[in-house]
Amino acid sequence: MRSLFLRLRRRRSMERDVETELAFHRDMAAAHGNPTPMGNTTVVQEQARDLWRFTFLENLWRDIVYGARNLRRSPALVIAALLSLGLGIGINTGIFSMAVEFLLSEPSIADARSVVLVKFGGNSHAKKEVVEFVRASGLFQDVVGENEENYINWNDGAETRQIFAVELTKNYFSALGVPIAYGRGILPQDPDEVVVLGNRFWRSRLRGDPAVVGRAIRLNGRPYTVVGVLPTDYRSPIGFGYSPDVFVPRYQDDTILAIYARLRPGMTVAQARAGLAAVARRLDQAIPEAFRYADGIHVAAVGGMDRIKSETEMQTVGLFFAMLLMVVGLVLTIACVNVASLLLARGSARRQELAIRLALGAGRGRLVQQLLVESALLSLAGVAFGLMLRQAMAAAVEQFDLPVPIPIRLHLTLDWRITVYAMLLAVFTTLACGLLPAWRSIRHSIAPSLHREGRMRLQRALVIAQLALSMIVLTAGFLFLRNLWRSNAISPGFDVRHTIYADVNLPPGAYKEVARQRNYVAQALRELTALPGIQAGAGARVIPFNQVTRFMIGLELTGTGRKVRAFFYWNAVTADYFRAMGIPIERGRTFLTGADAAMLPVIVNRTFAQQYLADRDPLGRTFLWGDIKTPYVVVGIAGVTKNFSLGEEDQPQLYEDLARLDRGSTRVEFVASSATPPATQLQAVRAALRRVEPNAGLEVATLYSSIGLAFLPSQAGAALLGSMGVLGLMLAAIGLYGVMVYSVSRRTREIGVRLALGADRRDIAFMVLESAVKLILIGSAAGLLCAFFLVKPLAMFLVPGLRPSDPVSFLAVAALLAVTGLAAAWGPARRAAAVDPMTSLRYE
Amino acid sequence: MAKSGSPMLLQGTLDLLIMHALQRGPLHGYSIAQTIHLLSDQALKVEEGSLYPALYRLELDGAIAAHWGVSENNRKAKYYEITKRGKKLLAAEQRTWSRLSLAVQRVLARQP
Repeated sequence: MRSLFLRLRRRRSMERDVETELAFHRDMAAAHGNPTPMGNTTVVQEQARDLWRFTFLENLWRDIVYGARNLRRSPALVIAALLSLGLGIGINTGIFSMAVEFLLSEPSIADARSVVLVKFGGNSHAKKEVVEFVRASGLFQDVVGENEENYINWNDGAETRQIFAVELTKNYFSALGVPIAYGRGILPQDPDEVVVLGNRFWRSRLRGDPAVVGRAIRLNGRPYTVVGVLPTDYRSPIGFGYSPDVFVPRYQDDTILAIYARLRPGMTVAQARAGLAAVARRLDQAIPEAFRYADGIHVAAVGGMDRIKSETEMQTVGLFFAMLLMVVGLVLTIACVNVASLLLARGSARRQELAIRLALGAGRGRLVQQLLVESALLSLAGVAFGLMLRQAMAAAVEQFDLPVPIPIRLHLTLDWRITVYAMLLAVFTTLACGLLPAWRSIRHSIAPSLHREGRMRLQRALVIAQLALSMIVLTAGFLFLRNLWRSNAISPGFDVRHTIYADVNLPPGAYKEVARQRNYVAQALRELTALPGIQAGAGARVIPFNQVTRFMIGLELTGTGRKVRAFFYWNAVTADYFRAMGIPIERGRTFLTGADAAMLPVIVNRTFAQQYLADRDPLGRTFLWGDIKTPYVVVGIAGVTKNFSLGEEDQPQLYEDLARLDRGSTRVEFVASSATPPATQLQAVRAALRRVEPNAGLEVATLYSSIGLAFLPSQAGAALLGSMGVLGLMLAAIGLYGVMVYSVSRRTREIGVRLALGADRRDIAFMVLESAVKLILIGSAAGLLCAFFLVKPLAMFLVPGLRPSDPVSFLAVAALLAVTGLAAAWGPARRAAAVDPMTSLRYE
Repeated sequence: MAKSGSPMLLQGTLDLLIMHALQRGPLHGYSIAQTIHLLSDQALKVEEGSLYPALYRLELDGAIAAHWGVSENNRKAKYYEITKRGKKLLAAEQRTWSRLSLAVQRVLARQP
């Protein structure tokens, strides 16, 4: 500090002072009869200047000004560098932003670090009484419950629509401290009919009018008072950009809730876990269930690294992003190599300038610094451009509804993490683009005899590296493309092309009794199947790929008394479900009306039969389900279907008869198979269902469109990695092209001599192509070798049966690389063949 | 550091000598050089080309302070003065130096 102050104060008067002081020194020496020192005043002054001025900073500034002036003289270089670096950095920061949003974002609640997600008995959700019980135990500062995956019917005055609702306990907003844009959150003392609006819903459906607060909207046929609107950047506790439409107090008696608890000050997660064990033991006494609450107690953070550590699916997402980041990092490296070759070529043009400066006594470190400053300028410009691209991408993502059946809004904010990452990328690109050319230029200036062969060798090595890198990226991209084809070809076990599905949400007030619900289903099916072109229609509880219900339950096989612990996908369907979905009944039959009332009929799939009923003929087997008294009987064996992802293994499945199910639900699903393209039937189906119950929330779509979600991972992976691969290949092709053009121009004289001595023009072209082929071969070989090991971990993202080490991918990519490389070398080869021997020999 | 013919000053020892010379009180550059010259029995001759940069460096380090004054022959001259920090630095460097010179003497006094 002190020296900084001194420097600032002294800088001005320094030169004059030194002069006065030295003059005094000499006079004194003369007066004392000593010989006048021969010292050089300028040297002392320079040394003093070095001490007093901010030499480093001033040199840096001079380098920046000089570098900028230099770059302005070669706009082509600047544009090429800006485009390739900007694109590379934009993509890198974009993917990184997404990774941050998916993995590290915290939900919009006050002091999210002190809030934990609590699970009992391995269940993600629990009954309302359980939430109350944990709250009353006083273990936590506060406990809230919410169910984020519900629908509610919203009537906008003309039409009833199904919208995404979060049902929650009334203390949710106050206990978690959720920020509100307008109005307030729901309070514990509020009546049941209040609602907080999601920002997306408020803006798109209510025109973003702040005056809506205090007014009422019609939900499930009743007026709900709007008390507040959430801010744009609201993030729900489950994350992944899920942005529900409305938040309402729990309105269905049987809604189960996810439990969030706020730790008491100073309480650790381990303490909470220990306390919960005691609470769970008391819960087992107070609210007995088929499972034990004390089994599988889970306490997990709601955001950040702790969440990643506690949830395996987060780890998979993390690995996916790590892979993506590596791939886009490789693309950026390829771009850097291109810029490096450009700078190398430019360095050769500046050799003279650098040699002169070295001869005049410039420090080598200073020259390297100056050359690096130039690449740093390019990198910073690239970062600026890249961040602009990222902003555009983020804005697009924020505006755009992803083609998935749930509302997802990603907020890719430009925060410090992104900025730091961009700065790290700038350092990386500066060194990757600049270090080699700078070092080269200096060396060549010193030893000019080395420069010709040496530089070409270096440029060749760079091109080989580029080709190898793009080979790796392409292989990854190609694998994901094949994954997409493969998953398109995988049959989910049912007919996707001809099926329409309808998701109906009945007004709960009017459909309390199960009998009324059954009645509705029967009536709706009559209307549906009466439509021309509809071949079969059925009701169901679960539409595969849209929802899942899984049971883990003890079954007692009545024939042998054997007990099995079965784990299976569950559905309740009407008799025609299998016909409508095109699922084969392999043995036995489907449900019959008026069958044996003493037994509950079920149909199981082949896998269920093999896993749990293999000891005897599964058909006709009876079993007891948990502690339900009525026995179940297997009446049919159905084909195996996928339930949640195309990549999943065959899983056991059990279908109950929807017509006899006594657990009611106001949410009913329908499927119908259509002889005509299903998209043309949507309107008719919607109208038919509307006729039966005008007040129901209604969603009608083709099954294919809703299964889109299942294709999303492989589609996103294929699109991203495929385009990255193509981008990398293009960059590498440009690099190869540049080197070939340069090498041809350098060999013009040699080619002229060859032609003059009678060489065939075709041979000349071949000679040039041959050197390109050599580069391509070495590059592909090196790339193949690296890719073989690097893509191995990708297996976890691929559908079964597709191995990363599959030779087909490698061969295809190598062929693509060879064709592109040859195309890039073709132009320079033709140019070489067209050399005019006379001109080229006269040249120089 | 010193001219050829007279013994070379080891790197860093000039700072030590300057601070030692300033222990007596404020001096200007020329008399610092003279003091060192006399105290070394005229063996060491400090040249202005090394003296002044060393003085500026020490001043920036805060080991010595400078102010303009009037010399014995009534001319404007810059006087240097050792600071508290400089005194501490001097003591430390003196110890280091004596250890070093003692060690060098010991080595040279014995047969290898």
